[in-house]
Amino acid sequence: MSVGFTSSLESNETAMTTIRRGLREVPVLRNGLWFTFFLAALGSGGRVVVPILIQQAIDRGIVGTDGENAVDVALVARLAAIGLLAVLVAGVAFRQAAVRLGVRSERALYDLRERLIGHIHGLSLADHGEERRGGLVARVTSDIETLAQFFQWGGMAWMRNTALMLIVSLVMLAYDPVLASVAFVVAFPLAIVLRAVQKRLVLAHGRARERNGEMLGAIAEVVSGATTIRAYEAGDHLSGVVRTATARKARQQIRAAWIGAFLFPSGEVFSVFTVSAVIGVGVWRGPESGLTAGALVGFVFLTYRFLEPIAEFTEIIDQTQTAVAGLRRVLTVLDMPVGPPAPTDPVALPAGSLGVAVAGVTFRYPNTDVDVLRDVTVTIPAGQQVAMVGATGSGKTTLGRLVARLTDPTAGRISVGGVDLVDVDPDELRRRMVVVSQEPFLFDDSILVNIGFARPECTMSEIERVIADLGATDWIDALDDGLATKVGERGEALSAGERQLIALIRAGLADPDVLILDEATSSVDALTELRIARALDRLAAGRTTIAIAHRLSTAARADRVLVLADGELVEDGTHAELVAGDGTYRRLHDAWISATTVSKRSARSGVDLEAERARPLDRGDLALEIVEAKVLLDDE
Amino acid sequence: MLSLHPRSFVFSFIGAAVFAIATVASSFAIRWVIDNVILPRFEDGEVGLGTFLTGAGMIIGIGLVRAVGVVFRRAFASAGMWRVAESYTNQVLDRLVRQPVSWHRRHPDGDLVARAGVDTETTVSVIAPIPFATSTLLMIVISTIWLFIIDIPLGMVAVVVFPLVIATNVIYERSVSQHYTRAQAQLGDFSAAVHESFEGVQLVKAYGAEERETVRLAELADRVRASRVEAIERRSWFDALTDMIPAIANIGLVLLGASRVESGDVTIGQFTSVIFLFTLLVLPLRLIGYALSELPRSMAAWVRIQSVVTEVVLDDPAAAIGTADNGLGIQLTDVGFTHEQSDLASLHGIDLALPVGTITALVGPTGSGKSTLVDVVVGLVPASSGRVALAPGPRSIVFQEAFLIAGTVRENVVFGNDAPDDEVWAALHLAAADEFVQALPSGLDTVVGERGVSLSGGQRQRVALARALVRHPSILVLDDTTSALDPATEEAILDRLRTSLESTVLMIASRPSTIALADDVVFMSSGRVAAHGTHDELLEREPDYRSIVEAFEADRAGAS
Repeated sequence: MSVGFTSSLESNETAMTTIRRGLREVPVLRNGLWFTFFLAALGSGGRVVVPILIQQAIDRGIVGTDGENAVDVALVARLAAIGLLAVLVAGVAFRQAAVRLGVRSERALYDLRERLIGHIHGLSLADHGEERRGGLVARVTSDIETLAQFFQWGGMAWMRNTALMLIVSLVMLAYDPVLASVAFVVAFPLAIVLRAVQKRLVLAHGRARERNGEMLGAIAEVVSGATTIRAYEAGDHLSGVVRTATARKARQQIRAAWIGAFLFPSGEVFSVFTVSAVIGVGVWRGPESGLTAGALVGFVFLTYRFLEPIAEFTEIIDQTQTAVAGLRRVLTVLDMPVGPPAPTDPVALPAGSLGVAVAGVTFRYPNTDVDVLRDVTVTIPAGQQVAMVGATGSGKTTLGRLVARLTDPTAGRISVGGVDLVDVDPDELRRRMVVVSQEPFLFDDSILVNIGFARPECTMSEIERVIADLGATDWIDALDDGLATKVGERGEALSAGERQLIALIRAGLADPDVLILDEATSSVDALTELRIARALDRLAAGRTTIAIAHRLSTAARADRVLVLADGELVEDGTHAELVAGDGTYRRLHDAWISATTVSKRSARSGVDLEAERARPLDRGDLALEIVEAKVLLDDE
Repeated sequence: MLSLHPRSFVFSFIGAAVFAIATVASSFAIRWVIDNVILPRFEDGEVGLGTFLTGAGMIIGIGLVRAVGVVFRRAFASAGMWRVAESYTNQVLDRLVRQPVSWHRRHPDGDLVARAGVDTETTVSVIAPIPFATSTLLMIVISTIWLFIIDIPLGMVAVVVFPLVIATNVIYERSVSQHYTRAQAQLGDFSAAVHESFEGVQLVKAYGAEERETVRLAELADRVRASRVEAIERRSWFDALTDMIPAIANIGLVLLGASRVESGDVTIGQFTSVIFLFTLLVLPLRLIGYALSELPRSMAAWVRIQSVVTEVVLDDPAAAIGTADNGLGIQLTDVGFTHEQSDLASLHGIDLALPVGTITALVGPTGSGKSTLVDVVVGLVPASSGRVALAPGPRSIVFQEAFLIAGTVRENVVFGNDAPDDEVWAALHLAAADEFVQALPSGLDTVVGERGVSLSGGQRQRVALARALVRHPSILVLDDTTSALDPATEEAILDRLRTSLESTVLMIASRPSTIALADDVVFMSSGRVAAHGTHDELLEREPDYRSIVEAFEADRAGAS
């Protein structure tokens, strides 16, 4: 199973390792990166044109002629023309570099997104817990966005500024190695100062983000609890809590802003010292050393140019760290092993109805230390209708998922139609076995699209036939837009019962041999309940059915009842047998009888449970199954 | 916006002005050094140490003043910006707590949180660059004047180039921003689809649709990519242009300057300093366009905040509740409720008189108006007509979904009121929550919720009930509260309420065991009180009531 999510998140990988690994994962970006850098360097060359031109103009065009005000304008014009050409070439090269990096990074991020989505869909259901969903969505959206943000600004800035510093240093060295050394030595402490301050800045920004999160949490509380807060006149109290959080956030943001404000001009401060040192040394050495006035003036310009990128670096470092953190989280997800692996040599399932055999199955969710299923063994013959009951956490839902191979057991084996699940081709398994959650998921689209999800290639008449088979035609016809009716986000435009109906029709369209039903806990109006019961009965007919039951009435109608408690199969038999016994099922049954009985308080304790139990089982009359009461077996 | 915290911005503008003046002055220093230090040394062979030190002192001094200007400008602009953000958040917050429930029900939660959070940040993001933009404009003005003083033809170049760079920027932002805006919208669609697909992952897996879903989502991601690539193609030209224009201008200046030096109108120092000044101005000129580009987004966010902040605070419906006649806990006279914008069921002509100290069950099919009625009774929602009157004293309501704040158990029970611990414990006892709270690691101080101990649904419900009881309410309304409890606990709680409280209890009941605990039953149907009496009476005379109760029992009939 998958290794820890959190443990690998807190890995001590350095930024460079992460970046290298990231580049390996997206070859589109890596290939030709050096050429892009070359173009960027060429583009940066445009920035040294002016200092060189000034040097040339002063030395050769203006001063070099040696006479008072004797300026060789023709020479300066020639130099200017060359300079102009250089600037234009550099501009085009720079533009090409930007386009190459931009287009390739967007392509790379798209590839990464596609891979990530495929990978996440492939993860075992065990890695898809409610509490992880937000994180997984964030990996594909906001984390990759931090990378996109980085490539839009920071990536190019790194490239351009690195290239600029490199080119400028080379030009400086070419002019005068001594002056260049002076400039490098005087500017060097800046690197140390920058590192120190920048660390504090990153820390301060991190803290500001944390405070911001706390503030948003506090606001969300005031909004989501608005009704309760009004009812208890607690508005002033809670708004005080939020105000404190808001003030703390602002304080931290201001602190970070001050650090940033000091960091930003540090390049300029160092540049005036460096320039003074360069001028001092240059003047001291004088023309005797072969230095010219133009070269010294040009050097002053170059020194400013050399330190100019510093300000931009301070701006993009924070962004870069955010991007590296985002990349690290993305890579962590790609490192999670995908869910049940497909067999290399699949065995075909036999035709016809399929039985299910569970042998010695134990299951434990990743990163937990409790077995939710312990050594469960049960054989379900083809065509049998089985109900699994048990309290919340008893493992009944997990067992259902294991049978559908949405995840693999930690120990033991499960076979369908005599074939071990690990040898079944996943596509065939999905065709032959369907899990129907009765608190089903619907896409924000039409009913038709949601039904067709089971088999996108099916025809309209097939869908209509399934709807008719399950007795739901009148319901669909009664809707304003029929099958084209939009269901809204998560199907919210429909009632809970209508959503369940769609899920059943969807399962009917898939026409599986084995049906795993996760029964609904929500209450549903009487008419829809009737429809659901009818559709369910017709859908289950002739198929091996495993119902994860929340209602005792469902269990009572099944051929066989499996009772789970704390991950173990504790009882196995028909409803009548188990009620007659003295076990878990009997206790569940008694509690349920008293909860569904209206009697005056005095008479309550005297409900005749024995008599209730003795009442005959009536499975035929659907009208009797109308349920208004929400009696859940897994409550507390 | 700036007037919310004027002091910060005054400092920031002073810093900006210092920065602008120092920038222009630094080109003066360079000129002075070239004319008085470098050229004399290289042409005449000598320069005094004092002259050099004066020059270096000028460069360093002006550089430091400029840096101080930057620190002031940036720090105070950001400080002011975050203080303005805080003020806006608090303004929105103020509305969030003052507006009544009906207002909250009209606004989606996520939207309101966004206005108090993200929108305030987006709004103020335009503030920080304002001092910067001001100093850039100031620099342009001073530089232009300075250039005209040095030499009129050089000044003309400034008049042409500065506006050209700014214009290029504005055109660029306009032409590119639409692509980014579209990409942003497409990103929103993509994110929503990803969220939906991952939420439905079980279904996706159940039907083996992993590949199909990946393809579908990748298509959406590709749209984002395509828009961004288009933006990049354009942006890269402008980026190159904003780099090239000042460089070309500088080359032009060298040419022009050389001829002006020849004619003796400017010195080499002046000529060089002009080019130097141009170089210093390049970065601010480039960034001013970026600052302008934030403006529309920021305005849109500001409008969203204002729409919440300027909205009239609706009357508190609780204020309209009168005092019930002596001996009555709840007294409704011809109460009606209709509201087009609300999905609450309507009420028509409700007359109800519930004596003090009684427990009444409210029964009825879905959509019959039970929830609306209890909202009206406790004053969360105003009655459209008729009169609501209650016995004096606090009112408490406990909803089906318990709302707990991320805090300690004590904070959740007292909920902003003052109550000593013994009263908290008494309330917890009445709510049958004392035993499990005692068993928590830190008792009343145990933090519940996201970062603390997670409570089960029934436990949360009982803490919420204790919150209701600690106020000693004269009216206690339970909106299907006890359905998350097992029947024995439910009975124990209602027994304790009956013996220890003077409250009038009105509870929505959705299961037989709850009905059994009430003195009286009010049966509702289509927004009206269809019947009011004891359970036995109603069973006798109301066929509809009988069929509902029979339906309760029918589930059992299907099984036994």
